[in-house]
Amino acid sequence: MMSDDPTGAQRTYAATEDEVLRIEHLSINFGGLKAVDDLSFCIKRGEIFGLIGPNGAGKTTVFNCITQFYKPNEGAVLFRGLSGEMENLVGQKVHGIIRKGLVRTFQNMELINELSVIDNVLIGAHIDFKVGGFSQALRLPRAVKEERAMRERAMRALDFMGIAELADAPMGGQPYGIRKKVEMARTFLCQPKLIILDEPAAGLNDVETQQLAQSIRDIREKLDCTILLVEHDMRLVMNICNRICAISFGKFLACGTPAEIRNDPKVQVAYLGEQEKED
Amino acid sequence: MSTFLQLFLRSIETGAVYALATLGIIVVFRTNLVINFAQGVMGMFGTYVITVLFVRRGLPIVAAIALGLVICVGIGFLVDFFIIRRTKKVDGSGKEIITLGLMMVFVGITPMLFGVDPLKLPKVIETGSFTLGGANLSYNSLLNIIIGLGLTTGLFLLLQKTKLGLAIRSTASNERTARLMGVPTKNITLFAWALAMVLGALAGSMIAPSTSVTVNVMDSVQVNAFIACVLGGFQTFYGPVIGAYIIAVLTNLFSYYISSVWGTQLLYLLIIVFLCIRPVGLIGKKTIKKV
Amino acid sequence: MKKEQSIGMKIWTNHYFRFVLFGLMLSMLVPAVSGGILKTSFLGIVGGTIIFTIAALGLNILLGYSGLISLGTAGFMGLGAYISAYVTGDMGLPWEVGILAAVLIPTAIGILVGLASLRMSGLYLGIVTLCISEIFRKTFDELDVITGGFSGKSANYPTLLGMIDLNQKQTYILLVVVLVLVMMLTYNIVHGQMGRAMHVMRGSQVAAQAMGVNILKYRLIAFALSTGYASLAGALYVHFIKFVYPSTWTLMISLTILAIIVIGGLRSIYGTFLGALVVYAMPDLVLKRIPVLGDINGLPYVFSGVLIILIILFYPKGVVNVFSDLKRLFAKLTASKSSAAKDEVPNDVG
Repeated sequence: MMSDDPTGAQRTYAATEDEVLRIEHLSINFGGLKAVDDLSFCIKRGEIFGLIGPNGAGKTTVFNCITQFYKPNEGAVLFRGLSGEMENLVGQKVHGIIRKGLVRTFQNMELINELSVIDNVLIGAHIDFKVGGFSQALRLPRAVKEERAMRERAMRALDFMGIAELADAPMGGQPYGIRKKVEMARTFLCQPKLIILDEPAAGLNDVETQQLAQSIRDIREKLDCTILLVEHDMRLVMNICNRICAISFGKFLACGTPAEIRNDPKVQVAYLGEQEKED
Repeated sequence: MSTFLQLFLRSIETGAVYALATLGIIVVFRTNLVINFAQGVMGMFGTYVITVLFVRRGLPIVAAIALGLVICVGIGFLVDFFIIRRTKKVDGSGKEIITLGLMMVFVGITPMLFGVDPLKLPKVIETGSFTLGGANLSYNSLLNIIIGLGLTTGLFLLLQKTKLGLAIRSTASNERTARLMGVPTKNITLFAWALAMVLGALAGSMIAPSTSVTVNVMDSVQVNAFIACVLGGFQTFYGPVIGAYIIAVLTNLFSYYISSVWGTQLLYLLIIVFLCIRPVGLIGKKTIKKV
Repeated sequence: MKKEQSIGMKIWTNHYFRFVLFGLMLSMLVPAVSGGILKTSFLGIVGGTIIFTIAALGLNILLGYSGLISLGTAGFMGLGAYISAYVTGDMGLPWEVGILAAVLIPTAIGILVGLASLRMSGLYLGIVTLCISEIFRKTFDELDVITGGFSGKSANYPTLLGMIDLNQKQTYILLVVVLVLVMMLTYNIVHGQMGRAMHVMRGSQVAAQAMGVNILKYRLIAFALSTGYASLAGALYVHFIKFVYPSTWTLMISLTILAIIVIGGLRSIYGTFLGALVVYAMPDLVLKRIPVLGDINGLPYVFSGVLIILIILFYPKGVVNVFSDLKRLFAKLTASKSSAAKDEVPNDVG
C-alpha cells in the first residue's frame, strides 16, 4: 500500500498501536540547501523496513535526524520505545536516544582496536550499568557482580552471532566480516525496540550478505524488535524487507512492499533515469 | 592623561615583542600544523648568539644583530631539515612533544655553549628620549615600536602581495594540494622555521636590555604569545598579532589601574571567559562537522 | 575452553598482586640506601619519579583514555602543594586534612575547566589550560601573604594520625604505598564501564553519544580525576621535598609530564612509570654520575630532549611496547624452535 501520508497539523500522538516509528513532515536544510524535504513514513512493529534511494538522496541525513545528531528544522520523529508511549524525539539529547530503546550502527563501526572483542561488545551495555563510578573505582562487590552479569550478557550476544570463541581476542586483528558481527552484537546488547542498520552489507561478499540477511531475521525474531535498514544493496533490501520507503533528493518517492517499489515508475526513474517512451 | 599615554606607548613596545614571538608561532603553525613549544627558547638561543657576538667578539651592536640573525636563519634551516621533515608520519600530540624535545635541547645546549652567567645586551640606541603629549618615550622604545609595526606590516604585505607570500598561504591552507600544484612546500617550511627563529631572536633582543640574557629571558613572552594565538584565532596570520597587542596593552592597563598583584590573572581569566563564549577566537572561523 | 589455571598462575596474573609486588620492589630502595649500597640522593630521585608518575597517570586518564589535552598539570600540582603546606603549616591542621583539602579544592576547579572544555577542543583547550596554570603560578608569586612569594613555602614530613612523625625514608615508603593504591584505582577505572566510555569518547564523540555516553559527564570525570591526581602529587611533593617555589610550576613541567606519558606509552600504567624514569630520573640517576660528561651543565636536558625526539620518531607507541615486542619476538623464536623439533620427532601433542 502507498504511504500512510498523514494530513494536517492536527496530529495527536495517538498513532495506531502497532506503529513503532512515525516520521511526519521531516525537513532539514543546510545553509539554504534542503537536504530532507517534507518526508513522512511510518514503521510498524516487528517489520524489517528499508530506506532506499540513490547516492546523495539523503538517507544518512534522514536517520541522523531520527537519532537527533542533526536537529530537524521541521517535523516530528515519533517513537514508541521502552516506555510504550509514543513520544517525539526531536530536541532530545543524542546520548538519551539509546535509553529510549533506539540504537544505530555505524558505517565505520567505531570499534576500539585496543580492547578485546567482548569489551567492545560491552560498550553496548553502557546505559544498563547502574552501579556508580565510585563503586567501580573501588571495585566494591556490587560493581564486580554487575560487571560479571554484563559480561555474561555480552557472551550470549557473541554466541548468537556465532563468534563466542573470539571473546577475548583483541579487536585489532579481526577481519572485516568479524568486525561487522561484533558491531551487530554491540548494537542489540541493550535489547532495543528499534535498530537502525547503516548500510550493513557494505563491503560484504555474497556469502556474508546471506549470513547477514539471516542474522537480521534472527535478531528481529529473538529480540522481538523492529529494524530500519538503510541500504544500497538492492538484493538484500528486496530480500528481507517487509516494506520499503524510497526517497530521492530528500523527498518522498514511494512506500510499499518490495514488489510495489520495484514496479513503481517514480522509483525506476530516480534510479535508472527516464524510461524510453514506447511507441 | 599623560600616564595613560605613557602606559599605552610602553604597551605598544611590549606588544611589538609579543607580536614578533606570536608571528613565529603562527607562521610555523600555519605551514606545519604544529604548535612549536620551542619558539621561546629558540628565540632565547638566538638572543644569546647575538649577545655573545657583541660581548665576546666585540662587534658593534647592529652588526651583532645582523650577523646573529643570519646564523638564526641557518639554525632554523637545520631544525626543519633534520627534525621536522621526519615528523610527517607522527600523529596526535607527537609533533608537539618533539617541539618539547627541541625545547630541552636548546635549553641544554645554551649553558654548554655560552656558560651559565647572565649576560648583558645593551639597547640599540643607548640614550635619548623625547616627549609626546606629556609622555616620555626613549628613542630605543620608538625604534622597537617601529620595528614591531614595520615587520608585521612587512610580513603581511609579503603574504598578500608577493609570489612567496602566495606560496606560503597556499601551503598554509592545504599542504598537499599546494604541493600537487607545484608549490615548493619543502622550501616553504624551511623558510617558516628560519623566519620563526629570526623573529624569536629579534623579540629576545628587544626585551633583553631591560633584564638580562638568561635561559629564562623569553619565558613570559612565550606564554603571552600562545595566549595571543588562541585569542586571535589560529586560522589567520593577523588575528594572533592583534591578540598580541591587545594582551600587551590590557596587561599594562589592568596592572596599573586595577591591581598590580592580580592584573595579569584577571586579564587571563577574561580571555578564558571570552573563549568560552567565542571559542574560535577574535577572528576565527567555525568549521561545520560532517557526519 | 579455558585451561584451569593453577593457584600460582591465578595469583601471578592478578593485577593487584603485580602492583603490590611492584611496590615492594620500589620499597627495596630503603634498605639499599640504609645499607650503603646506594646513595641517599637516590631516594629523592626515585621519590620524585613516583610523584611525577602519579601526576602523569592523571594526565593519561585525560589524554590517553579520554582524548582531552591539558597543559596545565603543573599549575594544579603547585596548587596542591601550596594548599597542603598552608593547611598543615599556617593552619596547623593534621596532615590528612591537608591532603584532603589539597585534592578536593583543585578538583573542584578542574571540574570547572571540564565545563569549559565543552566549548573548545584541541589546541585551544590546551592553551586555555596553560592560561589557567599561569594564573596559578602568578598567584603563587604575588599572593605572598599566603604563599610566601618567590622565596617559597616550606612544609614537613607527614605526621600520620596526629602521632606518627615520618622521616624521609618512611615518607618515601608512603609515596610508594600511595602510588600502588593510585595504580589500582586507575586500573579499576579504565577496565570497567567508565574506561570503556572514555575509549569510545576518544575514538568518536558521535559513536559515544549513540551508545548513550553522556559526553559532558565523562569529560567532567576525566578532568576531575586528572586534576585530583595532579594535586595529590603536588601535596606529596611538598611533604617530601619539604618546600615549594612558584617558579617550579612552569609550562616546561606540564610538557614534561605530557612527554612522560607519550614516551612511556599512552594508556599504559606501568608505561607511565617507565616514562617518568626515562624523562625525569634518567638525567639525574645516570648522566650526572658519568665522569666529565656529568659535569657539563645542560647535558641532561640535551640528552632528554634528543631521547624524546628519537623515541617519538622511531617508537611512537611508547617505550612500554618495547617489552611486548620483545615478548612477541621471544615467542616467535621459541615457537620456531619447537616446530623444528616437531618435524624431527613426530609426537602426539594435544
